[in-house]
Amino acid sequence: MSVASFKKYITLALCSMQNTLAYRLSFILNFLASFIGLIAMYCLWQAVYTGRDQLSGFTWEQMQAYLLVTFFVNSMLSYYSESSISGKIIDGSVMMDLLRPIQFQKARLAETLGSCVLEGLLSCILIGTAAVFTLGISLPQDGVGMLQFGISMLSSIFVKFCIVYMSALLCFWTTSSFGIYWARTSITNLLSGALVPLTFFPGWLESLAMALPFQGIVNTPVRIALGMTGRAEAWQMIGVQWIWIILLWLLGRWLWSRAVRQITIHGG
Amino acid sequence: MSIIEARGLKKVFKQAVKDPGLGGAIKHLFTQQYREKYAVEGIDLTIEEGETVAYVGPNGAGKSTTIKMLCGVLVPSGGEILVDGRVPHKQRMENAQHIGAVFGQRTQLWWDIPVRESLTLLRDIYQVPPAAFKKNLDGFTELLGMESFLHLSARKLSLGQRMRADLAAALLHDPKIVYLDEPTIGLDVAVKHRIRDFIKEMNREKGTTMMLTTHDLGDIENLCERLVIIDQGRIIYDGKLQKVKDAFARERTIHTQLSAPIVGAEELFADMPEVAVESSAGDEKEGDSVPSLSIKFDRFRCTASEIVKRVMNHGEVVDFRIDEPSIEEIITRVYEGQLDSAALSEAGKGRE
Repeated sequence: MSVASFKKYITLALCSMQNTLAYRLSFILNFLASFIGLIAMYCLWQAVYTGRDQLSGFTWEQMQAYLLVTFFVNSMLSYYSESSISGKIIDGSVMMDLLRPIQFQKARLAETLGSCVLEGLLSCILIGTAAVFTLGISLPQDGVGMLQFGISMLSSIFVKFCIVYMSALLCFWTTSSFGIYWARTSITNLLSGALVPLTFFPGWLESLAMALPFQGIVNTPVRIALGMTGRAEAWQMIGVQWIWIILLWLLGRWLWSRAVRQITIHGG
Repeated sequence: MSIIEARGLKKVFKQAVKDPGLGGAIKHLFTQQYREKYAVEGIDLTIEEGETVAYVGPNGAGKSTTIKMLCGVLVPSGGEILVDGRVPHKQRMENAQHIGAVFGQRTQLWWDIPVRESLTLLRDIYQVPPAAFKKNLDGFTELLGMESFLHLSARKLSLGQRMRADLAAALLHDPKIVYLDEPTIGLDVAVKHRIRDFIKEMNREKGTTMMLTTHDLGDIENLCERLVIIDQGRIIYDGKLQKVKDAFARERTIHTQLSAPIVGAEELFADMPEVAVESSAGDEKEGDSVPSLSIKFDRFRCTASEIVKRVMNHGEVVDFRIDEPSIEEIITRVYEGQLDSAALSEAGKGRE
C-alpha cells in the first residue's frame, strides 16, 4: 500500500476518534455501565474466595488482577464500535462507503482502532483508580514482560475486530443485528475467558476454547500480564494470535465479497 | 468510445412470498418461497462525455437501481456495463475514484463532524492535491453559498444546506461523471435554482458528464437536453427533450384579447373540427375586463397565423399569447400510460 493510500485510513481513524468524542456522554455512560459490571464481578469473586487461598491455581490477588485486565481488554472495542459496523449494513449507508475508493474492511479497522485509542485511554484512568483500592496486583515487572503484554494486547484488538467484523457482515443476510450481537457476545465472553478463566473449565471445554480464536482476545493478554507464562510460551501465544488474525482477516474478505453480491438497497 | 455504455442490463431482486397472517409467517419459517422481481429488465444506454441526461420515470421504475449499478454498488444480474472503460462492480475502487454521486435521500457527509472537516476527509480519501482542493472548495463555497454552514456538523444542517454540502462533496475530486439521484427533492425554489446553476456551471466549465434522476420537471427543462424515460424496468423513450415535445405536445392554445366581443365566435372555426374555441365576454361589472377568445389547435394541422388571421378578420385583436403544454403534462401522461409506448419509441429513434 502506498503512503498516500495509507493516509486515507489514518484520516478515517482520526475522524472516528472525533466522532467518538461527539458522543462523549453516551460513550462515558456506556463505559461506566461496564465498570459497574466489573464491580459486581469483583464482589462475586471476593465471596467465592472467602476462606480459600486459591482456586484452580489462581490466588485472590491474581484473580483481582485478572478482573482488571479483562475489563481493560474488553472495554477496547466496545459495543459502540461494533454497532457502528452493523448499523451501516442495517440502515443501508454501506452504500455510501461503496461509493468511495476505500476498502470496506480496512476502513472499518481504521475507524475501530481510532475509537480504541480513546476507549483505552479512559479505561487506563479507571483501572488506575481501581488498582489503588485493590492492592497487591501482580503485573509483569520486567521490560520484556511489559512488551509482550503490550503486543498481545494490540493483537487481541485485531482478533476481536475480525470476529466482530464478520458477525456484523452476517447482518447482510439477517437484516437485524440484535440476535447476532447477543450470540456473538455470549460466545466470545465464554470462550475468550472473559467470564471465568479458561483453566476453570472442564478439560474438554478448555481444549475446545484453546483451539478457537476467541482465547486470543482475553486469555492470552491476561495470562501474559499475570506472568503465568514463560517468555517462550508468551511469544508462542502471540504467534497463535497472529495466525488467527491472518486467517480471520482473509475469511472476512471472502465473506465481504459474498455479502456485496447480497446487497439489496431499496428505494426507487 | 462512449463514457457510459450499458447493454442488456438487468437486475433481479428476490422477494419473499408469504401467505397472509400468522399461519403464513410460520409456514415461511420452514419453506421459503421467493418470487423474482425484475427491477431493471434489459436496459441499453449509451452516454457520451459531457452530456447531461435526465433519467425519469415513476416510483419503482428502476431508476435508482440503474444508477446504483452504474456506480458499482449493486452487482447486475445480467448484461454488461462499461463506465469510462471500467466494469464498475468489478473495479469498484478505480471506478469510485472517477465518479461522484449524490443520493438525495442519503448523505455522504459524516454526521457528527463539521462539513469543512468532512470535506477534508474526502480530500484524503480521494487523494485530491492540496491546490486543487483549495480551488474547488473556495469555488464551491461561493457558488453554493456554503460559507455560513461550513463549520456546522451535518446533523445540524437544514435539508437545503445538506444537499449543497453533499453536492460539493461529490464534485470535490473533479469526477468525470456525476450521478445525481433526486438532487432537488424537498428543496425550496431558491435552493433548487442554486443547485441547478451549479450543475450547469460544472458541466459547462469542466465538461463533467451528468446523469440525473428526478421527479422535478423543472430540473429536466433547465438542465437536460436529453431525456430517458424508464417504466417498469424498461426504457420507453430515449431522445431529445424537444422531440418528445414535438411528438406529444402538438397542442397549442392561442389566447386573444379583443376590443369588442365577436358575435358567433364559436362558429368561427366550424369547418375545422379539431379546433376548440372558448370565448368569454369579460365580466362587465368589473369594468376593466376585456372580452377574450381562447383557441386550442394542433400545430401540425394548422398554423398559428391561420388562426389569428381568421380571428382578425372578425374583430380587432388587442393582444395575444400562445401556450404550449409543459413537459410536466407530457411526462404525467406517460406515467399514467396514456401515451402509446410504440409511438414513443418511434419518436426516440429519430435521435441520431
